[in-house]
Amino acid sequence: MSPVTLHNYLIVGAILFALGMIGFLARRNMIIMFLSAEMMLQGVAINLTAFARFRGNLQGQAFVLFILAVAACEAAIALALVLMLYRRSRSLDISDWQELREAELEPVVDEEPLPPPPPEEPLPKLTPAGKEPAHPQETSHV
Amino acid sequence: MLTLFLQAEPIRQGPLRQLVQDGWPILLLALVGVIGIYLLMPQPGRRRLAWGALASGVALVAGGVLLIRAEMALAETILFYAFAGIAVVGGVMLITQINPVHAALSFALVVLSTCGLFLLQGAPFLMASTIIVYAGAIVVTFLFVIMLAQQEGQSGADQRSREPFVATLAGFVLLGALLIVLQRNYQRLSFDAYLDKFERASRAETSQEILSILGNFEEIIQDLRSEVPEAPAPKTTDPLIEARRAFWNAVHDASFSLKSVPKLKRKLAEAHAAGLTIRSLQGSLVPSAALPLSGNSGPPRNAVANGEPVRGLPAYNVAALGRSLFTDYLLPVELAGVLLLVATIGAIVIAHRHKEAS
Repeated sequence: MSPVTLHNYLIVGAILFALGMIGFLARRNMIIMFLSAEMMLQGVAINLTAFARFRGNLQGQAFVLFILAVAACEAAIALALVLMLYRRSRSLDISDWQELREAELEPVVDEEPLPPPPPEEPLPKLTPAGKEPAHPQETSHV
Repeated sequence: MLTLFLQAEPIRQGPLRQLVQDGWPILLLALVGVIGIYLLMPQPGRRRLAWGALASGVALVAGGVLLIRAEMALAETILFYAFAGIAVVGGVMLITQINPVHAALSFALVVLSTCGLFLLQGAPFLMASTIIVYAGAIVVTFLFVIMLAQQEGQSGADQRSREPFVATLAGFVLLGALLIVLQRNYQRLSFDAYLDKFERASRAETSQEILSILGNFEEIIQDLRSEVPEAPAPKTTDPLIEARRAFWNAVHDASFSLKSVPKLKRKLAEAHAAGLTIRSLQGSLVPSAALPLSGNSGPPRNAVANGEPVRGLPAYNVAALGRSLFTDYLLPVELAGVLLLVATIGAIVIAHRHKEAS
């Protein structure tokens, strides 16, 4: 029927899904985390359209349309939440919010090292130019 | 012929060893992929970008060669390789970029190549709406938020990741599991192909015709090894084991009765019937004939006559998709509209700057 089989599309969808999961777990920037979640949805959409194509009916495509609608809602809410969190902590780092916990739980310690600070630029030094002239003693004339 | 059947006995060994034996290409690919993605992840200090790119590229190319078996060098195959490759490369770039603006642009790349795959799959309406919704609206909104939030330059959050090795390992364990399941399921597709062959061969007239349909019995037995019943239990009530035993006995008898055409045809018909029973007991995607399905979403699968080959979706299907959405899926469409409205209200309420904050 087609030179590219259903199996091939399912592999591509699985790879996109797994990459999105890695991005969601490993990144700290909230926006990149949400982009990774959207990429997982793309992988699922490829699977569903492939099933629609190879089974010869439209149910998979109709489902992908609903995924689109839910993804649009998710993006709107997520961006609103990100903006609100950014206003509170002035940063997009998700680790700023890891102290949210129950009162009796131990706090989570972020053990990963911070990136080394950039080396400070040494202040320019003027080369001594010639012999220092003798300063005339200032005397106050009253 | 008898030695063949001895070879076709199921290999009794530990599940881990069998996993390594069956799926070693996938495990190797996943290992190389873990190394590549881990080296590419943003980390403090020196990133080994060249080695990471090399390992990921090797994993991608080897995966394309080993996993994807597209048939001929046709236009569709070439386009599939191009779109799938761009999508995967864009996905890797999305999760490894330090600059979030670049990450959002890589996401646009992923969306555009996914739309190419949609078009290859005969979904032109989905392609257009995905480009409009994702690449047009979502990516632009994300870029606005990034520019709003990053006026003072890059932050330390982008230059390091959170547990990159564990996260990468978890992702590739999931990917390896999915690929191994897909590979086994893909081999199961050949079972359907053999059932079709048996059915056609049992209706053939001469022995030459039967042999030209069936091909080599040696290969058939090698391919159908997974259908061998596990243990020769004397009495069982499990219908699946019974059906597997009947199927295997019929194939066995058929391979010994190549001389007599009527017996061969009868055994092949028996194998076909037992195989259909196995298929229905293992569960399949085809709904049972009792389920009412309307024809608006395409031909319902339970209405297709038995044995008729499945026809793919025609590319000209936008009008049919609209008819399906507004008949079968009318209530979900309305609910999706309500959901969008509620999400809009919620986003405005959440993002609204309150008086006391300003």
